[in-house]
Amino acid sequence: MAYLRLLSIFYKNSLITELEYRLQFWANLGLSLFWLVWAALGVRVFFIHTATIAGWRYEEVLVVVGLFFALNGYRQMFIQPNLSRLSQYVQQGLLDYMLTRPVNSQFLVSLRYIGVHNWGDPLLGLGLVAYAFWLLGYAPGPVQVGQFLLLALAAVVLLYSLNLLLQTTTIWLVNIERADTLVWSLLEAGRFPVDFYRGWVRLALTVLVPVAFFTTFPAMALLGRLEWWVAAVALLVALLAFVAASAFWRFALRSYTSVSS
Amino acid sequence: MKAISQRQSLVSNLLRAYTALLRAWLGVALTYRAQAMFWLLSAVFPLVMLVVWLAVENEVGPVNGWTAADFISYYVAAAVVYRLTVSWAVWQWDEDIRMGGLSVKLLKPIDPAHSLISEHISWLIFDLVTIVPLVVLLAWLLPVMSYPIGPAMWLAAVVAIIGGSVLNMLMAFSFGMIAFWSTQSGNVFGLVSGVGQFLAGYIAPLALFPEAFRNVALLLPFRSTVGLPVEIMQGRLAWPEIWFGLAVTATWIVIFFTIYRLLWRLGLRRYEAVGA
Repeated sequence: MAYLRLLSIFYKNSLITELEYRLQFWANLGLSLFWLVWAALGVRVFFIHTATIAGWRYEEVLVVVGLFFALNGYRQMFIQPNLSRLSQYVQQGLLDYMLTRPVNSQFLVSLRYIGVHNWGDPLLGLGLVAYAFWLLGYAPGPVQVGQFLLLALAAVVLLYSLNLLLQTTTIWLVNIERADTLVWSLLEAGRFPVDFYRGWVRLALTVLVPVAFFTTFPAMALLGRLEWWVAAVALLVALLAFVAASAFWRFALRSYTSVSS
Repeated sequence: MKAISQRQSLVSNLLRAYTALLRAWLGVALTYRAQAMFWLLSAVFPLVMLVVWLAVENEVGPVNGWTAADFISYYVAAAVVYRLTVSWAVWQWDEDIRMGGLSVKLLKPIDPAHSLISEHISWLIFDLVTIVPLVVLLAWLLPVMSYPIGPAMWLAAVVAIIGGSVLNMLMAFSFGMIAFWSTQSGNVFGLVSGVGQFLAGYIAPLALFPEAFRNVALLLPFRSTVGLPVEIMQGRLAWPEIWFGLAVTATWIVIFFTIYRLLWRLGLRRYEAVGA
């Protein structure tokens, strides 16, 4: 409960700062919309020349593009303003300061700030998904939506955990500027269904690095194409990644010797 | 006689300034380690687009006559050319004008543009010596990539790349001047570049767009920054088409240079009025 109260204080704080620039707040929505249309049109080019790619129609690919947009918005709102700064915290000694707080340290480095800049991205992304279903002419049933919610949760947790795993290495390496571009590039590959990739690339994107879990599987759930066992696997993978990342974080803190000592 | 010697000393002064500026900026480029990551970042998108085209080609056969090898040659070259012509100068102008850094730069006896130009050139040199050998090696290892043109066309491609690079920089300069009047110069340039990425042939080869779109793109400045050099390298253009493309590039260079200088004069007057 105390943590929820903290979160509401943190985010109110971020929001008030952002609302100082009211015009910018709305201009950002316009920019988000522009890039959403840009992404949708970028896909359209392929479908001038073909009706389906690897069994996906244009409208179905739009579902994936919408989810990519939403997940990328989540990354920019929650991961970029927090975990991506970890390297900076270590370099400037701010981490020491955070560790002295009577709050779980992982909570603080993960959720202290919210990037209100991209507030429109998740909404617009889901809007594109809704539009795609309108074009397809049917709505997903409650079972599909339930499956989707589970997979979306798994995607959010998984993306967070991968970032925490990667950023935590800064405790030893100190300077890992732009390490988050690594995860970002992975996410970028999730712009399209993994079925578009062939051979060992697809295998790698499904098994080795979990790009398929980010956008393809949640989209397939909505489209009613996913087996239940995949949802179970996704949740299990997300849970394992979260536990591993948290354990790694605690392990890293034990070998952390601040800047001053 | 006196006028000539004055002009000569002006040129030699500028040359000396550029040697110093270039050396300084190259130093910055060489110590900037995140550069490798940055390159990765800008190359992921074309790579993803390439992979999708390969999937399409695999299903329906050659797309408008484009085979898998054509797509690979196109996107690898496009990723490199994009990197060589891209310019971020708009952000520098925005910061300098908005935060007042320009005041300090105006005190120096040289136009602030020269520092930005030499920064642009240093990155170009840096990329040329790091990325281009890598790609040449790649082309040698992967024989599917082919750029079957003679020396004269290679020269035309190099000229086209330099032209595209100059044009992109002047476009960034022109949009950077908006900062004298508004805080949104970066965003405006972002939107224009976003549309431009379609018209440049960065998202997909222009040959695969509808014809009406292609005809518009041929006359706009964006194609000069990616599509034109790559199409020359692929041997898709005959000499008249190359000359036409280069003429379009040159025209836009003149247009944006004029816009930039005009806005610079107007803006400077306004800037001084605010500061004083």
